[in-house]
Amino acid sequence: MSNQTFLYHPKISEVLRNINKVMIGKDEEALLSVVALLAKGHVLLEDVPGVGKTMLVRTLAKSLDCDFKRIQFTPDLLPSDVTGVSIYNPKTLEFEFRPGPILGNIVLADEINRTSPKTQSSLLEGMEETNITVDGEAVPLQRPFFVMATQNPIEYEGTYPLPEAQLDRFLLKLKMGYPTDKQEMEMLARTSGSHPIHEVEAVITRDELIELQHQVEEVYVDSTVHRYIVDLVTGTRKHEGVYLGVSPRGSIALMKAAKAYAFIKDRDYVLPDDVKFLAANVLSHRIILTSETKFEGTTAEDIVSDILSDIVVPVQRNVSE
Amino acid sequence: MNLTDKHQRFYQVAIYICGFLLFMEWLRPLEIIADFNNVSVFFIYAAFCFFISFLQVNWVISVPLKLLGLIFIIDGLYMGERIFGSNWFTVIYDQIMYNIQVIQGQQWWQMTPMFRSLLFLILLWLMSYLLFYWFIVAKRMLIFILLTIIYVTVVDTFTIYDGKWAIIRTFTLSMISLGLSHFYKEMEKEEISFKQMSSSYIWFFPLIGMIILSTLIGYSSPKLTPQWPDPVPYLTSANPGAGSGKGGEGPVQKVGYGENDSRLGGGFIQDDTPVFQALANDEQYWRIESKDTYTGKGWEDTLDGETSALSADDLEFETFTNEVETEERTSFLNFTGEANFNKLVYPYGARSLDQFPNNTSLELHTNTGEIDTIRDGSMTQVEEYIVEYERPSFEYNELREAGGEDPENIREQYTQLPDNLPSRVENLASQIVEEDDNRYDKAKAVEAYFAANDFEYSTEDVEVPEDHEDYVDQFLFDTKLGYCDNFSTSMVVLLRSQDIPARWVKGFTGGEPTDESQSVQGEDLNVYEVTSGNAHSWVEVYFPEIGWVPFEPTQGFSNNTDFYLEVESDDDSDTTTDDESDDNSASDENDPSNPNQNAEEEETEGEDDTNAAGASNNNNQLPQWIAAGILVGLGVILYFSRFRLMAAYLERKLKKNQDRDTFERAYIFLLKVLENRDLKRDSNQTLRDYANKVDARYQTNDMRQLTTYYERLLYRNESDQKQMNKVTELWENLIKKTLS
Repeated sequence: MSNQTFLYHPKISEVLRNINKVMIGKDEEALLSVVALLAKGHVLLEDVPGVGKTMLVRTLAKSLDCDFKRIQFTPDLLPSDVTGVSIYNPKTLEFEFRPGPILGNIVLADEINRTSPKTQSSLLEGMEETNITVDGEAVPLQRPFFVMATQNPIEYEGTYPLPEAQLDRFLLKLKMGYPTDKQEMEMLARTSGSHPIHEVEAVITRDELIELQHQVEEVYVDSTVHRYIVDLVTGTRKHEGVYLGVSPRGSIALMKAAKAYAFIKDRDYVLPDDVKFLAANVLSHRIILTSETKFEGTTAEDIVSDILSDIVVPVQRNVSE
Repeated sequence: MNLTDKHQRFYQVAIYICGFLLFMEWLRPLEIIADFNNVSVFFIYAAFCFFISFLQVNWVISVPLKLLGLIFIIDGLYMGERIFGSNWFTVIYDQIMYNIQVIQGQQWWQMTPMFRSLLFLILLWLMSYLLFYWFIVAKRMLIFILLTIIYVTVVDTFTIYDGKWAIIRTFTLSMISLGLSHFYKEMEKEEISFKQMSSSYIWFFPLIGMIILSTLIGYSSPKLTPQWPDPVPYLTSANPGAGSGKGGEGPVQKVGYGENDSRLGGGFIQDDTPVFQALANDEQYWRIESKDTYTGKGWEDTLDGETSALSADDLEFETFTNEVETEERTSFLNFTGEANFNKLVYPYGARSLDQFPNNTSLELHTNTGEIDTIRDGSMTQVEEYIVEYERPSFEYNELREAGGEDPENIREQYTQLPDNLPSRVENLASQIVEEDDNRYDKAKAVEAYFAANDFEYSTEDVEVPEDHEDYVDQFLFDTKLGYCDNFSTSMVVLLRSQDIPARWVKGFTGGEPTDESQSVQGEDLNVYEVTSGNAHSWVEVYFPEIGWVPFEPTQGFSNNTDFYLEVESDDDSDTTTDDESDDNSASDENDPSNPNQNAEEEETEGEDDTNAAGASNNNNQLPQWIAAGILVGLGVILYFSRFRLMAAYLERKLKKNQDRDTFERAYIFLLKVLENRDLKRDSNQTLRDYANKVDARYQTNDMRQLTTYYERLLYRNESDQKQMNKVTELWENLIKKTLS
């Protein structure tokens, strides 16, 4: 990570240290997950099975003193399995609401692309609103509410790829990637005894987390940086390899993520550096490439880094205003 | 004084002495190019001021010391009164008040020499302070060194000052002082104490060795000859305000009568300021003096020769003998305020003066015919007088048949030639006169030679001979372009090489006739207006038993002397007078029929010249290119020093008003400088990444720190006044690193 030299917010650095105990060489993914958590966004983890997606979420959840729920998506999962269901209680003669896993603080939606679109949308809708509707009744979601969804890459068999519009609702998309040889060897060494996840202890309470989220909102973003964000987003819309560029929701997402990142870096204002660092993870899943570009093997990440190298970083007030 | 101080002191003294010697290079040329008589006094005062400045004593001591020195010099140079006497103060006060008035009236030229000296001494004073600051405190001498080099080259190019050795001295001194100060700065930067440098003088030897070596290589290596014609005539002609002197002190003067002819050459511009009005029958030469010693560069006179007092009633001075026919004439001369040669202006054959002020005495230099007008022991300009004279008429045959030996003293004095006169001059003279058997025809042949061989009259683009060149030789064989001094001097030298006694005469031509006429002592006389532009030089050739006869070799001028031919067959002995101009016309195709229109002729010549200049435009463009080159050079210097200038400006501003605008400007400027130092920030690079790159290059942490402050300013939109000192310090560090 390029900006390792800078100090982290003390609370956050404890969380990151926890994750580092369990995950090897996944500092950046851990950091980005915390960014999403603090920005009140959600994360989509995309990679092949077995690279530690679930482990990352579990460790994170364990570091926070929050209610952790896990949904294992299968093709036969129903929406009510996600949201919960009202059951008739013969004793009280009333329907009683049995909350589904979505009503936790931290929700791990494992292999979200293996279930039917109907069930997927029951989760995704909840991510966007502060309520879910069960049996015509609005049920408020927990605060904080943080979804980490994992999915296998879409080219694998037996999956229902998430619709592009739905992807927009994730603040960040992460890829885990395989560990290096050295990391993998160290991993084997660590897991030979008891699993390190058992040693992880919660370092942030729920209230503290809500307070941190609130502080993130206070982070200052100068119009100079607004300009930079808009330039980047507009860049995706103008890029010739892009069929559909980033929506205005993407601009907001980028700004929110940048605020959270700046906060983690113990700074009360956003730098273009923050924006630049997050751009690929925030923007790439919001871009639909043209089919020609896809056939050429260019990925959305390539497009974003292409745009990053084109857009001028504002370093002077008169240039930006 | 401990060891550290001693070493440090040594470097400071060495650098400072170099600075002083460099400054001396500015003063040296003044003796030659300006009318400075006591340059050594100024040298001494400059040294004095430099010494006091170096001592770094309190100003309470240093200012009175310097002031005292200044007063003593002014007193010694200009004041008759006892120093600090009551009169003394009165004189000083009057002088200062007068000069202040003059300055207020913007009549700079009327400032008195004393006041000008005073100003100059104050300038020296200031310079001593400035140079101390540049060389010792700031240790930035490059600009001064460049200025010195430019000054020396300009002075060398545009004046007679020879900067050959000056440039070598300047180079050596510059290199020594730069080398020393660089070493000194390096020690400071690395914080090496002078104490650790017990043998710190050793490195000095390679420096000196390198400087000597490079100086020797530079001195002995072949150099291109000048690639362009001398730019001076072009520049002077382009600027009518700055003329070159004909017979003036060096070539930087306007046309007019002057005394110093030791260096002839250089162009001049016409000046129609009236000098005197002459009432006379006809146009004639107005003689002032002759000169006898040709130096190869110009004329010296032997003024230390005898002088004798003359009476106004009887001017016992003759240039010709009683054998010559004469005619009694009267002239009235009325001088304007411009005339200041303090000498008698007289026609040939002057006998006596009327209406001449009684209190003015005349002193004749017998060698030259120069008659000083003296009142109360000092030279003075007489405003007007009437001169009675006997206008000579020379008879051709008498001149041709003039026989007999030249008197010993005349032959000795007036056939003098410099030893290093190129032999081709003498060969040419022999060639010109080979067919003539008498002195008159020989003289006429030489006089006619110029017109017959395409010599051109011009007051512009006239060369000044270089050190190794002879003035006459250059004119006769190289340039063939010049004005009266060139023609007359050449004729004298040519004749002298044939052992014909001849001398060079200065004065005025007859001037411009006006339509008026006035009656003086019962005679109706024409009025002639004589201007500075009528200042002229011509030739007198000695004929035994006849005396000195004027000749006019200059193209476009006619001889105002009467010559006549006695026709033997005539019944009576009446003579037909014949104006010499006709005689001259054979040799001068351009000569207009009217012989009395000298001024017009000169004008015609002037126009011809302009045309000629137009035709030879290619030559004239080169100086333009040179001027453009100098401008471009200056531009380049400015361009390359722009960062330093800007850095100095911003540094000052940053220290003074620590606001965010200045900081932003300074930071952006730093980015520019870095970009110029091959550390370009890509447009997509954030400041932080760039700062890492910069710090990696300079192995510091300063850029990251400074960038953090700047980020806060730009992206947080707030600036911390408390941190501005730190910011300024970081910025200075970085700017120093990048600019070094």
